[in-house]
Amino acid sequence: MNKKKIVLAEDNSTLSLLLKFRLEKEGYELLMAVDGKQAIELIEEHNPDLILTDIMMPYISGLEVISHVRNELDIKVPIIVFSAAGQEEMVLKAFNLGANDFMGKPFSPNELVIRVKRLLN
Amino acid sequence: MNKFQYFLEYYNGEPLIIQLVWMVSCLLFLAVIILIIYLKFLRVHLRENEKITEKYTKDYELLLITYLYAETDENGVSLERQSVINELEKGIKNTFKRKIIVATFLKLGNEITGEMAESIHDLYSQTKLKKYALSKLKNRNWYIIARGIRELTLFHVKDAHDQVVKHVNHSRREVRKEVQLYLVNLFHFDGLKFLDDLQTPLSEWDQIQLLEELQKLEDQQIPDISLWLRSANKYVVIFALKLAKIYNQFGMKDVLIELISQKDEKVRLELIPVLSHLHVIEAKEVFKNNFNESSKDEQIAFFKLLENLIEPSDEPFIIEHIYHENFEVKYSALKLLKVLNAAKFENLELTPPESDFVKIVEFIKNN
Repeated sequence: MNKKKIVLAEDNSTLSLLLKFRLEKEGYELLMAVDGKQAIELIEEHNPDLILTDIMMPYISGLEVISHVRNELDIKVPIIVFSAAGQEEMVLKAFNLGANDFMGKPFSPNELVIRVKRLLN
Repeated sequence: MNKFQYFLEYYNGEPLIIQLVWMVSCLLFLAVIILIIYLKFLRVHLRENEKITEKYTKDYELLLITYLYAETDENGVSLERQSVINELEKGIKNTFKRKIIVATFLKLGNEITGEMAESIHDLYSQTKLKKYALSKLKNRNWYIIARGIRELTLFHVKDAHDQVVKHVNHSRREVRKEVQLYLVNLFHFDGLKFLDDLQTPLSEWDQIQLLEELQKLEDQQIPDISLWLRSANKYVVIFALKLAKIYNQFGMKDVLIELISQKDEKVRLELIPVLSHLHVIEAKEVFKNNFNESSKDEQIAFFKLLENLIEPSDEPFIIEHIYHENFEVKYSALKLLKVLNAAKFENLELTPPESDFVKIVEFIKNN
């Protein structure tokens, strides 16, 4: 059976690694990006089933990634955004651009897994 | 050789000023060369350092994740977790590596909650990192003490309470702030007990930070604040007044009335809006009796309180002050008169027509 692909765009390497281990344990294939530019490249190349993206990232922000996916690539893949405290306006912008869900940092990795499963099943 | 000799002859034959210019030029040239070499060396050194840091960070990230996903043992630390702890212990002995380990823990600890965040705190306490942080509290430099306390706060080390609380009256504000944040973050409202012993100032910024932390707490049960309202430290009293207002401490009415006779004007000025907020009507008579002895700011603040707690019985007092020399008191008194007795307000004698008093009355009539 083909594993479902998830693109994870997160510039915190430790958090990325933690989520990679956790989601791989759940049977997903993780494609890691450290910034928005890499995320867009991975999305275009692999056509993932889900995108997890931080809002604040170097070069290209999470908002630009969502905008690219929804407007340029025109694909309906579910997107979950991570936001830090004080980024409420950004979250609203992310929803307006087409994000499906958000998680405020700090968050529980277990809760993220539940949300991922809900969106993928 | 001939060229060099020719240059020497040329140099010796020139006037002193030209020789000087040559000398300065040579020195500057030499300085530029030395600086270029130094910068090159510095860049190489920094890049190497960066590479080493990156390598160790990756190693410690992997160890941390291994620890977090390792099997747990009900009877103690599992073998897998113990081997991670042993590996980390080796690195902790080295200051450079220790900094990377702490940074790695924090990098993840600040982004997650739940069981995993607690496991990071446990790992911090199980390794010698806690011991190093505690040793910082004994350092002679205030900034190292502050850094140590901050680390203990971030890793939720509750059992360092007694060592941390010793610095509650430290001469540096930065250390005191860290102590206060440690206590409030880890012990919530119970942590405010440090106010019992605080002899040093508590700045406005420190108070805001403490209130912000307190408002994040789920349990908003505030302890008895009467002791702090009676504190000999005026900063503690001012902070307690803020607590009384935010947490609607209606039960503190008698203690608040006692505070009207406080010697410090700043405390009295902070007190008036709290009395107004908590509707302590009994305070009005005390203020009225002391009105003429009060400062201008207090008089203005008292009229602001009256705007909130006005009663018909206040009319004689208000009429007494509609010609007050202070603009704000006069304006407030006239506004209150309009509310209490509109007929009397309408029939006020408006002479001479160009006076400030008449202008204020006209403004209030029209608004």
